[in-house]
Amino acid sequence: MRPFTLHEPTSAAEASALLLERGEAARLYAGGTELLLAMKGGFLPCDHLVNVKTIPGMDAVALDGGALVIGAAATHTAIESAPIVRERFPLVAQVERRVANARVRNVGTLAGNLCFAEPHSDPAALLLLYDAEAVVEGASGERRISIADLQIAPYETALEPGEVMTAVRISPLPGGARAAYLKFGIHHRPTIGVGAMLRVAEGVVVEARLSLGSVPPVARRLPEAEALLLGERAEHLNAESSAVAEVADAAAAQADAVDDLHGSTEYKRHLVGVFVRRAIAQAAA
Amino acid sequence: MSARAFSTVGQAVPRVDAEEKTSGRAKYTTDLALPGMAYAKLALSPLPHARIVSIDASRARALPGVYAVLTAAELTGMETHYGSDRKDRPIVAMGKVRFEGEPIAAVAAVDLAKAEEAVELIEAEYEELPPVIGLEAALAGESEPVQETNVCHRYEVAWGDAAGAMAACDHVFEDTFTFPMVYHYAMEPHAVIADYQADRLSVWSSAQHPFLVRAELARVFRKRLDQVRVVVPYVGGGYGSKSYTKIEPLAAALSRLAGRPVRLALSVEEAMKTVRRHATRATIRTGVQADGTFVARECRVELDTGAYTDNGVRVTERAADRLPGPYRFEHLRSEAVGLFTNTTPAGSFRSIGGPQGAWACESHTDNIAHALGIDPLELRLKNLVRPGEELLRGRRRLEADLAAPLAEVARGFGWHDYEPVSTAPHLKRGVGMACAVANAGASPISGAFVRLHADGSATVHVGTTEIGQGSRSALAQIAAEELRLPLSSVRVIASDTDAVPYDRSTGASRSTTLAGLAVHDAAADARAQMEDAAARYFETFAEQVALAEGSASFEGESISYGALIGQVFGGAGGEIVGRSAITPDHPSGKLAEDPVFWEVSMGFAEVEVDTETGRVRVLRYTSVADPGKAINPAQVEGQDEGAAMQGVGHTLFEEMRYEEGQLMNPNLIDYRVPTFGDLPDEFHTVLLERGDGPGPYGAKGVGEGGIVAVAPAVANALFNATGARIRDLPLTPERVWRALRETNDA
Ligand SMILES: Cc1cc2nc3c(=O)[nH]c(=O)nc-3n(C[C@H](O)[C@H](O)[C@H](O)COP(=O)(O)OP(=O)(O)OC[C@H]3O[C@@H](n4cnc5c(N)ncnc54)[C@H](O)[C@@H]3O)c2cc1C
Repeated sequence: MRPFTLHEPTSAAEASALLLERGEAARLYAGGTELLLAMKGGFLPCDHLVNVKTIPGMDAVALDGGALVIGAAATHTAIESAPIVRERFPLVAQVERRVANARVRNVGTLAGNLCFAEPHSDPAALLLLYDAEAVVEGASGERRISIADLQIAPYETALEPGEVMTAVRISPLPGGARAAYLKFGIHHRPTIGVGAMLRVAEGVVVEARLSLGSVPPVARRLPEAEALLLGERAEHLNAESSAVAEVADAAAAQADAVDDLHGSTEYKRHLVGVFVRRAIAQAAA
Repeated sequence: MSARAFSTVGQAVPRVDAEEKTSGRAKYTTDLALPGMAYAKLALSPLPHARIVSIDASRARALPGVYAVLTAAELTGMETHYGSDRKDRPIVAMGKVRFEGEPIAAVAAVDLAKAEEAVELIEAEYEELPPVIGLEAALAGESEPVQETNVCHRYEVAWGDAAGAMAACDHVFEDTFTFPMVYHYAMEPHAVIADYQADRLSVWSSAQHPFLVRAELARVFRKRLDQVRVVVPYVGGGYGSKSYTKIEPLAAALSRLAGRPVRLALSVEEAMKTVRRHATRATIRTGVQADGTFVARECRVELDTGAYTDNGVRVTERAADRLPGPYRFEHLRSEAVGLFTNTTPAGSFRSIGGPQGAWACESHTDNIAHALGIDPLELRLKNLVRPGEELLRGRRRLEADLAAPLAEVARGFGWHDYEPVSTAPHLKRGVGMACAVANAGASPISGAFVRLHADGSATVHVGTTEIGQGSRSALAQIAAEELRLPLSSVRVIASDTDAVPYDRSTGASRSTTLAGLAVHDAAADARAQMEDAAARYFETFAEQVALAEGSASFEGESISYGALIGQVFGGAGGEIVGRSAITPDHPSGKLAEDPVFWEVSMGFAEVEVDTETGRVRVLRYTSVADPGKAINPAQVEGQDEGAAMQGVGHTLFEEMRYEEGQLMNPNLIDYRVPTFGDLPDEFHTVLLERGDGPGPYGAKGVGEGGIVAVAPAVANALFNATGARIRDLPLTPERVWRALRETNDA
């Protein structure tokens, strides 16, 4: 790996200024679990690393008016072990506990995961079940990007040059909502991740969200499949039900699967059906 | 001598290197540094097959901090090629590149970053050639061959008239199975420090076979054996990847050019592009009588040996030897052909040709059992070779018993009354087994000497490489036992060709058997000298004195070893030296035949498959290892479990994937090795100890056996669970899902 200069800013504004000053030669650096691999492999030549971890307060995990605010320097381990996450956002804690391996979780961050936009990401799919936003800061101040608009293509985000993600804000699920997230694969990164959120009123599904990660180039919702769930009785939504099978088929049809080392498009489409079915059944149970 | 109770042999004593390794004090090659040492980095070919038009290293050479850049042009006044059986491997590519990742040049610089920077400045121009990828392309030979031809080696073992005998059999069955290219993943990739001087070449290397490396270096650099020194510090795993000579000549040539010591340490990606296991395609045809008696077998295996011969000749031969399996045949023909392709060279890997052969043979055996409606255990018991019979005609007879332990372990596993438990409709369970034996031990050539010092402590000089298998512990136990010393008084020193006697190699499961015998005999020699000294001291006969716990005694009087050695040398220090040299003519008569011993493998698996995703989990695994006599039972179990878990890798996950000659998964994120999460819920190792090995106390080797039976045992269990027969490894979820879909459609 070629030598680089490490910068340790003390504010997001300073980090942003450093990035703008150095242009392509500079990169933000959090846990480095993606960045250093890419640099060692010669895919991301850069001469300046700007450390987000030295910015005071960046590693905070806190509640703000009911919303969970996860600082950009918070590691997966810090997130999953934080009592407020475990108590108020148990599904987030559960998924974060199963991201990667202990070594990656101990230094890797949620922000780094989302900003790298590697297609095989659990949080990218999970957060689509929530109303969630990325808080970013750049030369022209702070703005918020809906999580659904953050990643635009593999390894590409909606962040402008010089923008730093400072936090992820996750609103609680609406009342009456139940959610589940399932992942599958034999590789380190997931082959597929499927999330399901059902809001049930008087036994009937009044709102549904289905999210799919790792299979398409960018994690996405599955609106056609979601629509089929509306009006269904939650108690009928088990793994054997024909209604769920229809939803699963619709999801598979929308999967936008890509061929890679994890498997063929045909197999992945099949898996989408299986895991959408299982995730709905688990959320409804 | 009447039966004497062992004091340390047979005990699961802690490893002698446990504390050094767990505290981080143990020194591996990359922990060492020599004054003035340069750091090396390789320039690798990006193309799988091409003629080299030109290499321009002038910009790299001009970079401040660069000491030397080695290309083929600098290989003058020395041999340019090396290789264990054939000298076909250039030290750096000459004229042509034959696989993606082949070194075309190497830089020595003041530090690694500088060396990496210089590598980027090397410009090579190529004329691309169509790559030969896969067995079909190698056999077809429609484009320029990899070497002079695409055929590396042909070999056959045969007796009777297999083709003719088929006609008279009630049934003939045929199957074809493939096995993927896999990578060893030693935790420590290859590492070398070379210090070339005009009259002396010193090399510290992670080598398994230091004496073969020494011979190769002496030949390449035209030196006498005494001028070359190869030292092997601790090694972070080998599994065959560090057998024979790998990057040592390159590091030494670079040191010669740079005029200073050079350290070359590979990355995982570079190690994957250094050596791998042979991919194979094997076809087996078996003539069987209606009652299940095997009569004739014809089998053929094609091996993908990659770009250079490496150990391809021997692997090709062992593959044909091992493919027919542990069964009796009146008529047999087993042929193998090793083929060159434009991929990483293939060489030794824990049981060469063994897992590939057992995968085909043992899957085929279950297919026959199924077709004939015979229990797979009964079919095996009927046809297994018995102790004292020849497995391969003209070779050493099988010393081991296979049938009795197979039947017994099957009972313990619950084979006969197995009922699959169902926890959910999409989860299915089943059981399977596999059995194999392999001709192991390589050549019986090992030496040792044991120095008994003036204070009664001892140093053992022996050429075995401690590659994590625990040789230093087992050899120390043997020495302590024979010297009648406490284990704590014995030290086994690291391999250093200047300081230890010749040992052929650390591989083929041979060390405890052969280096162990060398240590045993050398220690016994030293003990005999002590008995003589004691007899003189007590003025009696040697037979009358008793040695124990570092003292000699006679009629209630005793003297410590230290005091006794003082007597021998008149109180002026000194030491007793015991010697041995193991050859095929060993007085025990047990080493005269080939192979040195037969290594046994048996595995029983219970698996669960998710029929919707195709994911297979191993729930229970029982492995049988036959050490003859376990010098250290905990270490035998460790070897067996480790080997079996490594087998889980090629069974379920591992495969080096090439596309158009480019390795697509050259890292441990995309190339999946087993982790703790893949451990079966239950794992048992059953040790067979009949004392029937040729090694000390009846020991024989076990380091490789555990890997062999895993894939067929698991695939047979999957077949038992679902009726799907899979003929290609690894059993990835997608492959299993496809097989289940075909089975259900059929
Ligand atoms: C072996 C392995 C297994 C994995 N398995 C999984 C898995 O199962 N599921 C899963 O979801 N993920 C998985 N991952 C991905 C893992 O979650 C990420 O590697 C990790 O979260 C990245 O965080 P980091 O802090 O190390 O990022 P870094 O490597 O430091 O940065 C990654 C990228 O984000 C940019 N960046 C970092 N911080 C900011 C910021 N504040 N604002 C803007 N840009 C920023 C960097 O410039 C860089 O481009 C795995 C990774 C590895 C290496």
